[in-house]
Amino acid sequence: MTALENTTVKAPPRTLSERIVRFIGRTPVHLVLSLIALVWLVPSIGLFVTSFRPSADMRATGWWDISTWTNFTLDNYQRVISSEGMGEAFLNSLWITIPSTLIPLVIASMAAYALAWIKFPFRDTIFLIIVALLMVPVQVGFIPLVAAFRESGTGLLTGFGAVWLAHTAYALPFGIFLLRNFFITLPKDLIEAARIDGASNVAIFRTIVVPLSVPAIAALGIFQFLWTWNDLLMALVYVQRNAAQPMTVKVTQLLGTYATEWSLLSAAAFLIMIVPLVVFFSLQRYFVQGLLAGSVK
Amino acid sequence: MRKFRFVAPVIAGMLVLAACSSNDEGSPGASGGGGGGGEADGSITVTSLWGGTEQEAFEAVLAAFTEKTGIEATYEANRTDYPTVLRTRIQGGNPPDVAIIPGIGTLRSLARDGSLISIADLGLDQSSFEDNYPPGILDIGVVDDELYAIMVKLNSKSAIWYDPARFEEMGVSADAADFADLVDLTDAIKAAGGTPWALGAGDSWTLTDNFEAIYLKMNGVEAFDTLFGPDGDFTDPTVQAAIDKMLEIYTDDNVDGGIDGSLSTLFVDAIAKVFGTSPSAELYCCGGFIGGIATGADVNPDLAGQEGTAIDWFPFPTVDGNGEGLVNYGGDVMAALVNDSDVAAFMEYLTTPEAGTVWAEGGTIISPLKDVDTSVYPTELIQREAEQISSAESVSFDGADRLPGTDLGAVLQQAIQGNDMGPVLEEFQNQTQTAWESE
Amino acid sequence: MTATSRTASVSVAKTNQGGGGFSWSVLIFLGPAALFLLVFLVYPTIYTLLLSFNRGRGGEFTNWVGLDNWIRLFTNDPNFLRLGIPPSGALWNNVLWILFYVSLTVLFGLMIAVMATRVRYESSIKAIVFLPQAIAATSLAVIWRFVYSPDPDTGLLNALLGVFNAGPVALLGNPDTVNWALIGVGIWGSVGFATVILSAAFKGISSEVLEAARVDGASETQIFWRVIVPMVSLPISVVAVTLVVNVIKLFDLIYVMTAGGPGAASRVIAFSMYQEAFPQGQFGYGATIAVVMVLLLIPVMVYNIRRFRAEAVQQ
Repeated sequence: MTALENTTVKAPPRTLSERIVRFIGRTPVHLVLSLIALVWLVPSIGLFVTSFRPSADMRATGWWDISTWTNFTLDNYQRVISSEGMGEAFLNSLWITIPSTLIPLVIASMAAYALAWIKFPFRDTIFLIIVALLMVPVQVGFIPLVAAFRESGTGLLTGFGAVWLAHTAYALPFGIFLLRNFFITLPKDLIEAARIDGASNVAIFRTIVVPLSVPAIAALGIFQFLWTWNDLLMALVYVQRNAAQPMTVKVTQLLGTYATEWSLLSAAAFLIMIVPLVVFFSLQRYFVQGLLAGSVK
Repeated sequence: MRKFRFVAPVIAGMLVLAACSSNDEGSPGASGGGGGGGEADGSITVTSLWGGTEQEAFEAVLAAFTEKTGIEATYEANRTDYPTVLRTRIQGGNPPDVAIIPGIGTLRSLARDGSLISIADLGLDQSSFEDNYPPGILDIGVVDDELYAIMVKLNSKSAIWYDPARFEEMGVSADAADFADLVDLTDAIKAAGGTPWALGAGDSWTLTDNFEAIYLKMNGVEAFDTLFGPDGDFTDPTVQAAIDKMLEIYTDDNVDGGIDGSLSTLFVDAIAKVFGTSPSAELYCCGGFIGGIATGADVNPDLAGQEGTAIDWFPFPTVDGNGEGLVNYGGDVMAALVNDSDVAAFMEYLTTPEAGTVWAEGGTIISPLKDVDTSVYPTELIQREAEQISSAESVSFDGADRLPGTDLGAVLQQAIQGNDMGPVLEEFQNQTQTAWESE
Repeated sequence: MTATSRTASVSVAKTNQGGGGFSWSVLIFLGPAALFLLVFLVYPTIYTLLLSFNRGRGGEFTNWVGLDNWIRLFTNDPNFLRLGIPPSGALWNNVLWILFYVSLTVLFGLMIAVMATRVRYESSIKAIVFLPQAIAATSLAVIWRFVYSPDPDTGLLNALLGVFNAGPVALLGNPDTVNWALIGVGIWGSVGFATVILSAAFKGISSEVLEAARVDGASETQIFWRVIVPMVSLPISVVAVTLVVNVIKLFDLIYVMTAGGPGAASRVIAFSMYQEAFPQGQFGYGATIAVVMVLLLIPVMVYNIRRFRAEAVQQ
């Protein structure tokens, strides 16, 4: 934002009539944005309403049929919450997601720092290779890595270790990409000055780079949290003990063999969504700043 | 900062503990998980993809087993990505003790990988329980002359469901002895203002059921077995003829929602179109288990108790007079992945009429065991299904489940859209041939 | 800075960085990441590459088959690539996704970002549009199943069409429309991501540039295309590259909504790879598809690399 920003050509509206005129002048924008808000909210609202409807209603009429709203019931939610092992599954989700978010943040930011501020041979090539590894899909790892875990003789597959390591690894290419691009925008003078003062890399990292990069790191953390919390397939493959499965897996076990209890699935969807939404809304301000990182000069 | 120094190692320690917890699960088997001889530890885990009422019915069997032998038996549902989870667990050295094997192609694949323990290796003598079954039923679980898996449950796939009360209102009769009668019935329903068929083509296996019922009746048991074996030829005109027959009843006018609509509709949702609280169609083919689902919590629990009045089925008709007494059915086989005496005890238990009876009482399956009395099935509709199977001249296991992994359902989804099937069948034949050869 | 102090600072700097060679610092900072990447990404990639030349029974190296898998993939597998008019197959579907999903997501994202700045409820709009990102794939499938349901009584889309007396459509059941329906869901889910990034970028444009353009008599549309878009071209390319990578790895949405159906009409490469390997047990063949996926991403990566080299030069 430039210093001239405050001297706009038009003065801001002061009187009520000026405000109304401006509002009307922007009507097309308001209309379009309202339409967009509708399109983005309505499907999810539909699901929300469905989660309160009994199965029979759900198959017969649409959720917008207000006459059926008197049948609203908490049965679906009750079935999900009170089902055996759901509370434990919720804890498992936390157990899986939190380390899978924090560990990559640490490792990615350290690697990003090295790639941004430490000079060493082939540095840029290594960075580009790491970014290129974004290409690798998680599925190719299933068989070789599961076999490798088994042969290592550790119990990582029956605890959470395997899934933590896997989530961390697959988060690194994007995380390093994002953070390194943010780190290189940090004020060079500050870091140079610290070097001259004899600060080690560890000290610079801890006292300068990290504090200044909180928005970017938080943004990455949010992304990673959402991704690991909502994940199903990695948990199925890398957590090989039923009692350690997260909510996303446990919910599928509630379903009948043909998996078409939509009312139940709707309730489950919202229960699973609660934590990510809380995380997202409480850290929202970091998000915008953080995503600005590295993409705009 | 000082406190932090203590906290960090403690947290690290906790993480390490959580990372590698409970090593008592899973045999430390060498390769593929099928090996390790085990000391029985008094408990087994059984896994399958069943949920809901099917799960409850099976858990009753497990409870009966525990009561009889004292061995704890836990059921683990793996509802999604079942083959993936099974394979990665085997790879990871954490296989379940016993598992349902979905599809004979997968059975062959796992058996040849060495992931399954054959019945003989478990220490069980096949001849001791062979007579509990009708002749030939156990053959489906044989791979390379070794019996690996036991058929534990089955359901007829030769049943067409309808609502007798509505039929009466419309003035049509469910007396369809031959396919031509079925076509007439379809037209009669249309004339009475109803929509004849509901089709869950979104779940492509429902189409294979329809196709197989027709093909079996038109061509007989041997041709059926050949088609779904290594010498099968999907470009043979008999295949197209069966498809054409299928298309006589499944047309845009005859199916609720049209063909496109049916392709977006899943199995249970389609059942609801006939038996739900606001029905929009009249006929549904083909599984014997449809009744249980229709009267279940997910569709229309009010129907329970109205068997015969508001819900009923008639057998799939003959085609051009052929196929009387031929029934196609779908079954599940169970195999052992870990070798210990608990598992052997369980597999043996499954071959007893006792186990079959407990399971049958759950009302979700027909037991293959001969000595399960028809009267234990909870409703008259299921009893008739059991009789259909036991009095059949010949029963044929689901064909699509025998294929080596190629997807007949996807092919049929194209067929009902009226596409020219010549090139499609040719490609499918090539893929299937390749798959058979590389088994 | 004087010459002497400059040299002094340079030499101190060099000492701290280990003189431009390897130092403990590099090992500590980069080591863990390098280890993870080698084990979890590089090793499986090489494994998969080798597996593509093998039958791959059970995912292990059982029989060498040379180029058989490759030949079959490109000549004999219509589910993957059918060269006809119009072409079809999983590969072609990914192309459709790249062309339409990426461009429309970026376009809508930028448009919403620009429009949102004009209103006071800007952050609410952005939050609403971003919401789908917090929703798991299976839940998304349930939401959109209710929207696309062919039954006008229960499906939102068909109910709306019914208001205008338009017939019910079964978008997911018709192979001609299924891909478009899925792309629509994809756009719905990803616009929020684009909006948030591009909004931040847009705010970085100084308002006097925009005002100057307005004063010059440019219309809003002209300003959008001629001023705004060029000025956020770098963030646009970042978003676009991320989306393209997502498309090539696209799996979850297809898997839960249509399982590649009807028939194989909505398959995409990542889904095919998974389908061949796991349910069908043909791991060698699945590996071949995986390698194709990675190869397809190489030009994307090259473009990305060039972009960042250019940016580094500018810095």
